[in-house]
Amino acid sequence: MLVGNIVFIKESNGLDVALERMKHMPSTAAVEAELRPRRKGRPRVSETAAPSLVEILNLVRTEQATTRQEIERQSELGRAVVADRLGTLSELGLVDESELGVATGGRAPRLVRFLSERGRILVATLDQTALGVGIANLGGDLLMEHHEAADLTQPVSALCERLVTLFRWILDRQPGGPDLWGISISVPGAVPDGGETLFQRATPPVLPGWERFPLVETLAGTFDAPVWMRSSVETMTMGELHAGAGISHRTMLFVKVGKRIGAGLVSDGVLYRGAQGAAGLIGSVPVSVGERSGTLEAMAGSDHIAREGRAIAERGASEILAEQLRRGGEVSAIDVANAAQMGDTAAIEILSQSGRVIGQVIATLANMLNPELIVLSGSIAQTNDILLASAREAVYGASHPLVSRDLQIVRSQMGSSSGLVGAAMVATEGIFAPPMLRDWIMTGKPQAHPLFQQLKVRIAQEQPPRGRAVSPPEL
Amino acid sequence: MTISGLGPHGERASAPERVLLLPEDRARARAGNFRVAIVLHTLASDWAKQQLAGIIGTLGDCGVAVIEVVDCGFTPEVQIEALDRLIREAPDAIISLPVANTKVAAAHARVSAAGIKLVLLDNVPTGLLPGKDYVSLVSADNFGLGKIAAEGLSPHLPQEAEVGVMGYDADFFATNEREIAFVKWMQVNRPDLKLRILRFPSPAEADSTVRNLAGAYPEIAALFVVWDTPAMAAAEALESMDKAIPMATVDLGHDAAIGLAAGSPLVAVAAQQPLRQGEAVASTTVTALLGRLTPAWIALPGIAVTPTNVVECFQTVWRMPAPREVLLKRNLVH
Repeated sequence: MLVGNIVFIKESNGLDVALERMKHMPSTAAVEAELRPRRKGRPRVSETAAPSLVEILNLVRTEQATTRQEIERQSELGRAVVADRLGTLSELGLVDESELGVATGGRAPRLVRFLSERGRILVATLDQTALGVGIANLGGDLLMEHHEAADLTQPVSALCERLVTLFRWILDRQPGGPDLWGISISVPGAVPDGGETLFQRATPPVLPGWERFPLVETLAGTFDAPVWMRSSVETMTMGELHAGAGISHRTMLFVKVGKRIGAGLVSDGVLYRGAQGAAGLIGSVPVSVGERSGTLEAMAGSDHIAREGRAIAERGASEILAEQLRRGGEVSAIDVANAAQMGDTAAIEILSQSGRVIGQVIATLANMLNPELIVLSGSIAQTNDILLASAREAVYGASHPLVSRDLQIVRSQMGSSSGLVGAAMVATEGIFAPPMLRDWIMTGKPQAHPLFQQLKVRIAQEQPPRGRAVSPPEL
Repeated sequence: MTISGLGPHGERASAPERVLLLPEDRARARAGNFRVAIVLHTLASDWAKQQLAGIIGTLGDCGVAVIEVVDCGFTPEVQIEALDRLIREAPDAIISLPVANTKVAAAHARVSAAGIKLVLLDNVPTGLLPGKDYVSLVSADNFGLGKIAAEGLSPHLPQEAEVGVMGYDADFFATNEREIAFVKWMQVNRPDLKLRILRFPSPAEADSTVRNLAGAYPEIAALFVVWDTPAMAAAEALESMDKAIPMATVDLGHDAAIGLAAGSPLVAVAAQQPLRQGEAVASTTVTALLGRLTPAWIALPGIAVTPTNVVECFQTVWRMPAPREVLLKRNLVH
């Protein structure tokens, strides 16, 4: 204990020095130099303390360790160091040790708990026809969400303005709440990234026109928080894994069926992104149905379903859809799905056909990857059972017996919430990723990260932004 | 009528026709001897009474027994206690209007965990998912209601006017959607206006909230309140301050209908259809009890009510004649 106390005092003094140093954040010119690893001489205390702080915080956050004893065992750090680091994390408001666990003989151990209420994350999902926004805690739990129809072909400046308005509205509904730590956006396309960036430092060209408007810079500047961005299929996969059908699964294949068809893969509990962040673009796989051939998206996606639905309505083969057309309505893929659910034979055939084609492609993936669970998502899969049933039949029929033996194929029950929850998880994992965490943990706030400070300086210098200035309406 | 909003998890709306019951469904339900309990936020409002009539009547047609109707008086603790008590009673289904969000989430999750079908009205507590934690949500198209109110109020607003928006300071899906939609419509179609938003913590505090709003912004030239009971309380407070300004709200209650018939203070009301909604809730419950798939979100369109169509809309909404004061103001009786 005596040794422990001595270490505690010594180390905490060292940390104070480090904290003091971090408070006087270096100027941008010095940032890169500061980030460079030291090679010679005795390491500074901040350099030796930060890695163990990072490791302990992540053990606690991911619930791999819930007591001091477990932390010591998992991290192989000494009792005194663990006590000291927990003291620091506690002062930073990141962990709590006030609760007692269950005694296994002797004194009950103190539980070490991550304080997920320490910060908040603003999340949004952008897809072709809808915009969703929400706010989550650091554990990825959504505290509030709102979805509305939106047209993604509108200018990105207008989209950004709406996003800022809705984010302001949400923050306004959380008065006196914890600080905002990050913003995470789910977008309808692959976000090119070789895994080298800690957070977005520029707006990626995900959609046409995005290269001319500083969306990321506007959000980071307006709300003073780092921004993360991932494709919708990646965020939905993360959301499903964290809060939906994927809970407690390690290997999951997630397939989103919409206008686009994409897949997300979770291997050993981690999202697989591929070399360029473009894993899972299965919509481009060529397929053939009878005489016709095309990409999976063109042959089974929601545009195909809507087109076929309109055709049967015009032919009079579907009473329900013909009635809708007669009343001046359009026939959407959802209408076809609803008609099928109501028992319309022609509509059922369209969805079965799509399900079969999608199922064949999934079967190939399943044989290769041997997932425990396949989740079908997207509004068509979620509004009825027919597409799911025929996809299931195709997958089970074409899979190796070992692959299909315990394989579950289910539909997502999370709706667009999976994208919001997943976006929150992307930000949380980004904030606490060791290369990011070690450069802000001493200050207790991710905004203090030198690269974010650098980004803010750049944003300030580039005012006014390149595109049309966003002036959020008064709320 | 189209549905302009999206569901609490971004779901596309399904029409109530999706859960239409056929005679054979009713016969099967009758053979099931089902028991259902209903837990509402209040039983005092016209809206709640009418909705209850729709639910109980339709369940009666299907031979489903309603074993209890609980009035939560807008209090989360009362709702939690009632749900836990009803779980022990083990009905086949519970129809509930969650009065709060996070606070009542766990109690609602316990209902479905106990194997009881849970059908939600108007609001989904945070984190609960359709198909897993509840069967379906049945609600009005609240986003559409906010839009209707904005469209109705807009012609009464001079250029550059200040408009008060009184929202409900609780995290409640229905009122959030109305407020967002009203503000969005105005920002898109009337960018000249200045919107002044203040939220009341409870309906009883609508009076003090409107006084604060009018005090802080003496120039406000119109007011939107997210439902009719606090709107009428606000109207009374404004009248006592000698401030007569055009107002819009949601729900065509008795007093709101009278206020609208005179064209003052109300100029527009976006009406829900509580009886039809009650019938849709009951049909959804029966569909679920029969083991069939139900849509995640069933939405009913709102009705745009103006002084000129208030009489027929009152009849459509409430299935009863408009109050005499309304008929008098519309010169239909002398």
